[in-house]
Amino acid sequence: MSPIKLLERLIQLGFVLFGISLIVFLMMEATPGDPVEIMLGDSLASAEQKELLRRDMGLDRPLVARYLHFVGNALGGEFGQSFFHRRPVADLILERLPATIELTLVAMVVAVAVAIPLGIIAAVHRGGLLDRLASVGAMLGVSMPGFWFGILLIMLFAVRLHLLPVAGRIGYSHEVPAVTGLLLVDSLIALQPASFLAALGHLVLPAVTLGLAMAAILMRVTRTAMLEVLSQDYMTFAEAKGLSRRRILVRHGLKNALIPTVTVAAIETGSLLGGNMIVETIFAWPGLGRLVVEAIFARNYPVVQACVLFYAVTYVLLNFVADVLYTVLNPKVRL
Amino acid sequence: MTALLAIEGLQTFFATPAGEIRAVDGIDLEVAAGECLGVVGESGSGKSMAFLSVMGLVRRPGRVVAGRILLQGEDILGLAPAARRGLRGRVIAMTMQDALTALNPALTVGEQVAETLEAHAADLPTGRAARRRAVRARVVEILGLVGLPDAGRRLGDYPHQFSGGMRQRIMIACALVCRPRILVADEPTTALDVTVQAQILDLIGDMRRELGMAVVLISHDLGVVAERCERVAVFYAGQVVETGAVRDILDRPAHPYTRGLLRSIPRLDDPGRRIEPIPGQLTPADARPGRCRFLSRCALAAPPCRADIALADLGRGHRVRCVRLRP
Ligand SMILES: Nc1ncnc2c1ncn2[C@@H]1O[C@H](COP(=O)(O)OP(=O)(O)OP(=O)(O)O)[C@@H](O)[C@H]1O
Ligand SMILES: [Mg+2]
Repeated sequence: MSPIKLLERLIQLGFVLFGISLIVFLMMEATPGDPVEIMLGDSLASAEQKELLRRDMGLDRPLVARYLHFVGNALGGEFGQSFFHRRPVADLILERLPATIELTLVAMVVAVAVAIPLGIIAAVHRGGLLDRLASVGAMLGVSMPGFWFGILLIMLFAVRLHLLPVAGRIGYSHEVPAVTGLLLVDSLIALQPASFLAALGHLVLPAVTLGLAMAAILMRVTRTAMLEVLSQDYMTFAEAKGLSRRRILVRHGLKNALIPTVTVAAIETGSLLGGNMIVETIFAWPGLGRLVVEAIFARNYPVVQACVLFYAVTYVLLNFVADVLYTVLNPKVRL
Repeated sequence: MTALLAIEGLQTFFATPAGEIRAVDGIDLEVAAGECLGVVGESGSGKSMAFLSVMGLVRRPGRVVAGRILLQGEDILGLAPAARRGLRGRVIAMTMQDALTALNPALTVGEQVAETLEAHAADLPTGRAARRRAVRARVVEILGLVGLPDAGRRLGDYPHQFSGGMRQRIMIACALVCRPRILVADEPTTALDVTVQAQILDLIGDMRRELGMAVVLISHDLGVVAERCERVAVFYAGQVVETGAVRDILDRPAHPYTRGLLRSIPRLDDPGRRIEPIPGQLTPADARPGRCRFLSRCALAAPPCRADIALADLGRGHRVRCVRLRP
């Protein structure tokens, strides 16, 4: 990508982020319920005390001033205090983030590892049995609600077969020193293979649940892209050179077919964040998704606001990454 | 003498929902070592399909249904896929009709030329580094031979960084890097500027002399073929309707379609002559058996034309598929 193009995208990105911050701010403003009342709950605070708290939280100032204050704070990673935890929201988020990142990454790896080979096989054997099976599977994968699929998995692998755990990130007996916050990595760093296996076992069901829809979408994208590539002249010419079938598929086919796949994967990772709320709730996963769900039910405004902002910004950034990846992978656009 | 390449009774059909399409319907051709055979015919006459069949590159729903293809005396239709693959690019090479789409946009030109070599390299050194050096040297050599300026420095460039003419040269380099005995050049000039066309045809002629290989030059332009080839085969609706030495075909065309072709090209030696295009056009319906394929457009059509017409020998290898015109 040329520096000018990159600058253009960055400016665009700035506008989008501005819009997001405005929407998140106004959304919370428009939500019914007085934050002060909620925060104080049933406690017998006097009107004066409430007024004091209101001023303390800056709720008495004009809208624009409150917005600027909000943005200034957000840029500094300052999202105020959680109503109930009585701790800075930023701390809460940072505490929950690694669990969500680990789950999301593993789900993505599972999705990619399943989707790309399946998509290629389906395209190469277009119309064959495997193609039709994969296509039905993809349909199910996209249309099956995550919570339902998750519960099915729990019933089968945990309740019936007693094969896999269903709640939490790792058993209570494991104590892994935190380095990255990702248990798979930390347990390896600490040379604790048992902890690694325990963490992996806990990851399987939620990651599969979370990755299923993404796998289905990626499979279809790979299949479509591969079909398109297979019909290209350069594939025939590669065959005319006497290359082996495998080499033609991998070197000439995959390299071009993966351009849309990688782009979509980056965008879909953003959607995984949304899916996290459901999956983390079902599997009692101590991540950001569950924090948000809890905060929504408790009308814990500062937490909801910060998390929504975090999700939106992550999503936009992933789209930006997808854009950049697309140009980096595609020599024709790279110039 | 056995021909380098002999095609006998080749049929390639496409199974479509609308019925069977006879893209190639009984082709007999021979190519001698080192000679240049021109193949002409209008769009859809089966030129590409005939030679894609020879290469073993027909895609579904197309299929070679009958015939023999003898390469250096051996019937290659019966070969195992791996053995067949070993011939492609090494003994018989082909360049695609469209140079702009035949090169992979995601691979550098150096990689694309080198991979032909790597697929067949029996004579390359075994050590990794030595092998890489040898491949590189031969890639640079062939790219230089096909006239790519500054080849050594452009190996890492991508196809879109080259002009159409240069891409055609690169495709030719991909085909010739293993020094095949025969090159099938499928309409090597159609996608190119007029000024570049002659250069590419010159290049193919030069390479033919340099490597001592035979060339099958596919074109829809009889003028081009007449200028560059010793012999010519005229295709129509999946069949060879006339074949022979270029001189014989030009002086004594024996098929109404060939005559039409000759009347439809401008000639330098007779600039005042009127150019008459052949009325009508070739449609898939013309490829039906049981009658002369040219029937629907022929001014001489008569009852005997409503049967399959055999190739008749007029002597000196001049053969024609017409019962109405006999010199
Ligand atoms: N995928 C396909 N499905 C059905 N029929 C096909 C298919 N591909 C080719 N054909 C048939 O094969 C015939 C011959 O095509 P071919 O490409 O060999 O023509 P050509 O002489 O090379 O024409 P051109 O000058 O346009 O390249 C076409 O008329 C078409 O009917
Ligand atoms: Mg063609």
